[in-house]
Amino acid sequence: MIGAVTLEGLSKTFPGTGGPVLEDVNLSVDAGTCTALLGPSGAGKSTLLRAIAGLERPDTGRVLVGGRDMAGVRPERRGMAMVQQRPLLFPHLNVLDNVAFAGTVRGIPKRVARADAAGFLELVQLAGFGPRPVVALSGGQAQRVAIARALAARPAVLLLDEPFSALDPELRSVMHDLLAQLRRTLNPTILMVTHDRSEAAAVAERIALFSGGRMLQHDSVELMYSRPSSLEASRLMGGANEIAGTVRKGCHHSALGALRLPDDTTWQPGPGMLLVRQESIEVGPWDGPGLHATVSGLRALGPRRLVRLDAAGVLLRAEVPLGRALAEGDSVRLKIPTSALAVVDDPDTAHTFPGAETRPPITSQGRGTLATADN
Amino acid sequence: MAPPASVGGRSWLPGTLMAAPAVLIAAFVVVGGMATALAQSLGLFPLVGPPSLTVAAYAAQAGDLPVGIGLSLAIAAASTVVACLVGFTAALVIVQGRWCGKLVAALGTLTIPVPHIVGAASVSLLLADSGLLSRLFNTGGSWPELVGGPWWIGVVAEYGWKESAFVALVVTGTLATRAVSYDETATLLGAGRLRRLRHILIPLSLPTLTISATIVFVYSLGSYEVAWLLGRVYPEPLPVMALRLFNAATLTARPEAAAVAIVTTILSFGAVATALTYLNRSPLWR
Repeated sequence: MIGAVTLEGLSKTFPGTGGPVLEDVNLSVDAGTCTALLGPSGAGKSTLLRAIAGLERPDTGRVLVGGRDMAGVRPERRGMAMVQQRPLLFPHLNVLDNVAFAGTVRGIPKRVARADAAGFLELVQLAGFGPRPVVALSGGQAQRVAIARALAARPAVLLLDEPFSALDPELRSVMHDLLAQLRRTLNPTILMVTHDRSEAAAVAERIALFSGGRMLQHDSVELMYSRPSSLEASRLMGGANEIAGTVRKGCHHSALGALRLPDDTTWQPGPGMLLVRQESIEVGPWDGPGLHATVSGLRALGPRRLVRLDAAGVLLRAEVPLGRALAEGDSVRLKIPTSALAVVDDPDTAHTFPGAETRPPITSQGRGTLATADN
Repeated sequence: MAPPASVGGRSWLPGTLMAAPAVLIAAFVVVGGMATALAQSLGLFPLVGPPSLTVAAYAAQAGDLPVGIGLSLAIAAASTVVACLVGFTAALVIVQGRWCGKLVAALGTLTIPVPHIVGAASVSLLLADSGLLSRLFNTGGSWPELVGGPWWIGVVAEYGWKESAFVALVVTGTLATRAVSYDETATLLGAGRLRRLRHILIPLSLPTLTISATIVFVYSLGSYEVAWLLGRVYPEPLPVMALRLFNAATLTARPEAAAVAIVTTILSFGAVATALTYLNRSPLWR
């Protein structure tokens, strides 16, 4: 498990900032896996990556790689490489010598380092680009060279700090495929910072969600979407439906009626916010089975449409494919699969429940069961 | 045919108009001054008598010119090397951002506005055989000839001190804006401090170092006051020689002063041309 990364109680505060940039972050990443560090700007993701790399010294906490404490280990000796948003190719070196850099500084003969670098250029589909000056590369090519250069250092852990955010969507998709191919070939442990949920889901198998320097949740991509641990996590993952109600005997009771919750979880009784992804709600014809609702608004989302629905006075949102004949005022039936439901604490009402101080919070606790089942 | 107002989709006209006042003034001073000096050195602009094309002014100083050229180039080269070494090291310290870096930056900033003539006087008061250091160490007459000696150490020390601050601040600008991110990238690729210095910091700073070194070299080659105050009476560096001839009682020495100035200018142009040739070959400059 050389590339396993463990963070224990990592905190960091910069002088002059209001609060901590990182606050008691605990994270465990298995060797050979890809984890996306997801969150809005200012969430502390990049600082966390720099702390792992040794470019920032945490105030408290430990970084362990392969079980070895990295405290006091210089960044150049940590066995990591980083690719940032800008490729940062050394402008005084050509493409081949950029990729051969890690070998050169390790003292490997230049001829050997260059031959090795040529192999990595081939791996990123840039064979023959070696003699070119770096200014002659396009944005996508430069980022490929940056990845090849990082991989040529044979890092146990590859750190990616929004490496594709400056690329256009098509090129970004190509880079995602390239990264998947590189993972199959070299299998490094990857930690990738991104603020793009789709990118995180496309590239990583697990997501660590950050906000305000705190890690809100660390789970598989599927569970991050279907079982957010809190209202904040749900909102950051793009969840659009929150229905206030009460949990009793495995059901959520609200204006929508009693909805049975997934039985893989022991749902704590009390006030709770029902969460259901807009992609999970099926909108059917009026004469079909399901919950009655009226279309109150429509908004185009590229190849899909976001439908606003009024269901027993509750505002719901659902995504439907283009081509469905829907108009404002239409009556429809909604099907909400039980597996798509989750309940979290409603911060506005949780404290009103008798015994709120002693009751454990509702945090979609079934996700642990599902995660075990996944593994 | 008039040139097009836009090249490659970019209009050159606004930029040219904005630069025109500065270019015109600089051209008037530089081209006008050089043309006058050249004409005077070739006998075409005499103070008395009819103009006639002659190289007599150059021939009159033919004996002293080679020594003066060699001495001037040696002083300028030594000063430039010292200024670049000290300045680059200071820039590295400044970029670290620690308290000593801030101290060095403050010292460098304070050094810039001090005039060379004040610097020369300070060096004399410090390093001369009757100076502060000699008295402090009480050497009893065995103090080396740092000022007015055969190695022109006082002159080189003054230029090195003063110009190193200039080099440090210019290189710091480059290092702070460009090199830090490259330095971190190299670190994570396994490069230790010395490797980063050799493979990243020095190559990335070379264009800036080349430009500032050229400025220091040309300045040290062409200015007279430090060498005049801290140097020997003979042999003379070119600018001191030109000043002496220019101030000579005999008016016929003026063309000889102009000839020495023209030789100094040619050497300076040679240095600038060499630097630009190197820069044009550098991938960082293109």
